[in-house]
Amino acid sequence: MIEIKNISKSYVKNKKSIDNLSLEVKNGEIFGFLGPNGAGKTTTIRMITGILNIDEGDILIDGKSIKKDPIEAKKNFGFVPDNPDMFLKLKGIEYLTFMADVYDVPQNKRREKIEELTKKFEIYNELNNEIQSYSHGMRQKIVICGALLSEPKNWILDEPMTGLDPKSSFDLKEMMREHAKSGKTVFFSTHILEVAEKLCDRVGIINKGKLVFVGTFDEMKQKFKEEASLEKLFLEITEK
Amino acid sequence: MNKVLELTKIFLKTSFSSMNAKMGVSTKFRGKFVLYGLLFVYFAGLIIFLSYNLLEGLIAINQEAIFIAMVLFMIFGFAIFQSIFSSINILYFTKDTEYILPLPLKPYQIILARTIVMLIAEYALIFLVGLIPLTTYGILTGVGIAFYIKMILAVILIPILPVLLINIIVMIIMSFAKLTKNRNRFQLIASLLVLVIIIALSVSMNGIKGDVSNEEMAQMIVQANGMLEMVKGYFPTVDFLINALTTNLVNVAIFEFLKTILITIVAFAVYMLIAQKIYFKGLVGNLFGGGYRKSNKEIKQKEFSNSKLYKSYIGKEFKCLYRNPVFLMQCLLPAILIPIVIVAITYTSLNSKETMGELTQMLGQMQVNTFTVACIILGIIQFFTMFIYISITAISRDGENAVFIKYIPVSLYKQYMYKIAPNIIMNVITTLISLGLAKYILNLPIITLILLLIVSTIMGILQSILMIIIDLKRPKLNWDSEYAVAKQNFNLIFPMILSMINIIILVGMVILLKDINIYVGLLILGLLFTIITIVVNKYMKKNQYELAQKII
Repeated sequence: MIEIKNISKSYVKNKKSIDNLSLEVKNGEIFGFLGPNGAGKTTTIRMITGILNIDEGDILIDGKSIKKDPIEAKKNFGFVPDNPDMFLKLKGIEYLTFMADVYDVPQNKRREKIEELTKKFEIYNELNNEIQSYSHGMRQKIVICGALLSEPKNWILDEPMTGLDPKSSFDLKEMMREHAKSGKTVFFSTHILEVAEKLCDRVGIINKGKLVFVGTFDEMKQKFKEEASLEKLFLEITEK
Repeated sequence: MNKVLELTKIFLKTSFSSMNAKMGVSTKFRGKFVLYGLLFVYFAGLIIFLSYNLLEGLIAINQEAIFIAMVLFMIFGFAIFQSIFSSINILYFTKDTEYILPLPLKPYQIILARTIVMLIAEYALIFLVGLIPLTTYGILTGVGIAFYIKMILAVILIPILPVLLINIIVMIIMSFAKLTKNRNRFQLIASLLVLVIIIALSVSMNGIKGDVSNEEMAQMIVQANGMLEMVKGYFPTVDFLINALTTNLVNVAIFEFLKTILITIVAFAVYMLIAQKIYFKGLVGNLFGGGYRKSNKEIKQKEFSNSKLYKSYIGKEFKCLYRNPVFLMQCLLPAILIPIVIVAITYTSLNSKETMGELTQMLGQMQVNTFTVACIILGIIQFFTMFIYISITAISRDGENAVFIKYIPVSLYKQYMYKIAPNIIMNVITTLISLGLAKYILNLPIITLILLLIVSTIMGILQSILMIIIDLKRPKLNWDSEYAVAKQNFNLIFPMILSMINIIILVGMVILLKDINIYVGLLILGLLFTIITIVVNKYMKKNQYELAQKII
């Protein structure tokens, strides 16, 4: 469970990039975080994951404050950043065992988990090669595998579908559904409205640092009393 | 030719963009200007001081001309050493090549522009190590204006041939890139091969002359400027320039310069011909060879095995360092290579039993196991270790993915320590090599060597902590070529400044504790640096989160 409580962030004095944002992502829920470019999606995700300091408010991950108890809070989530170009000089297997060491994945479990994830994403045969030799999509897959290795309760994914081929994208969506079904949380940002519509239990739309809508798609349609497409509704909300 | 100049300007701008980008911020620029100014004054002062003392001694025995030869050889050596590291990086590992190749430019224009950029980069340092001592010579010996004109011309001409020579060696090796499937491994092997070939060349050049017998040496010392003849014969153009600078006859000087210019022009023409034939083959192979991927279904059980976090983390840091040719050559190798080259040259120079015997005899009469000698050795090690750029680039090397350290559940302080561990290890290795040399020449007692190792390691830990703090405070995370972090990074000036401060502390200690027992002196030094290290470490631990604020 992710609880965001009245958080604010300013990069420049007197100009809030995130303004008093509150949100709760419940267990067993897939939550899509939408918004136009520069709306504050990445800033919010960076605050949730501890990359950025929070000026005001707090964020709790399974009850642990990212502000006061950062190490414990970080143990409760797996994060996939938007840029998968990391540790390019490591071999795939080296990266995954390193991540397993960081997240204390027990010896008896790690082989099974690495094989399961990498075979699902069809990169198992590439594990002995340096990540540098991978395509963009393969890099995205290895980073996702690294984040999910420790079976974290909360998944936080920044634009996870970017660069994935249709099959991997389908598999990831399936994994997200399974994860939520087992009572855990998925929080992800995306630009692809169709993905959000089909996958998410609820969505949050952020614009100019403020959360302008939170709810299901049905609630969105009811609120705007329209039978328009999601794209039109999104544009209407964000251009207001 | 206009296109060559335009291209050179672009290459120069991208090379020094880190400096230009911030020039608009006047206070920062002023700060840098002051810092550079201070460093310049420090080094210029040091060079003048050394030159003055050396020249006084040489003038007394009528051998002042050998000073010119020494300076010209030093410029030549600097040019070789600088090009080893810059050539392969500038010619092959800069990312702008991808944008330059599709442009409607002729191959020679690109090669010429790249070569000019390399030469300009060389001149910056060479003017410092060349012009200052030669001017000191001019003032002390009271030579006329003609000497200064000859001096400038010589300093401009000397670095050209070494740069061309090393570029050609690099190009030949890199032209095999297209033959290999594993580009990454090839880049690594090629980089090392270039280093080995050039070091072998410089060491063998040192041995070419063979030993000069004692009688011959005595005879040469008696003759006015007789020692000059001893150092000639290594490289033709350097010899011509030595002749040109030491002669008083205008026509001889002009003739020597003409010979040098002619050889340089011919060499340049040959270089351009060869380069046009082989440079692009290697470049394309290197750029577009594609990542080599072998399909390997079976992964051995041990590759899944877990290790302690510190082992895993430090191992990851080392792998990311040595598997990247630019980081390997800029951050790791210089610290090992500089002492090794000095060891190799010293070994070949002292190889003759006669010379070694004389040296040992001479040192035998001197008291070497003193606090002053210990501080000199520590000072030399400080000079070597300032080339270890691991800690000062520990955060910046990760680029945009430096944020990784902030979202994993490991304390930032621990991660900082893991990141500086390779720097400390390399520091110990450099110290061991240097102490090995000290043992060989000075035959110091083992207890002194152990104490020196301990003090130097403490200084290494201090250096590593301070440098990562600087990198955290001024990280360079938005780069598109590793070269921008490992070479064109203003932060790299800080290890130099720290070594300078440490050397000043050592000199101060020598003055304060001149006649102290070596062991007591080293213990005091060790204690002093331990206290400073503890204070700095506490600061880093206490401010671990604040320090990481610029990593976003």
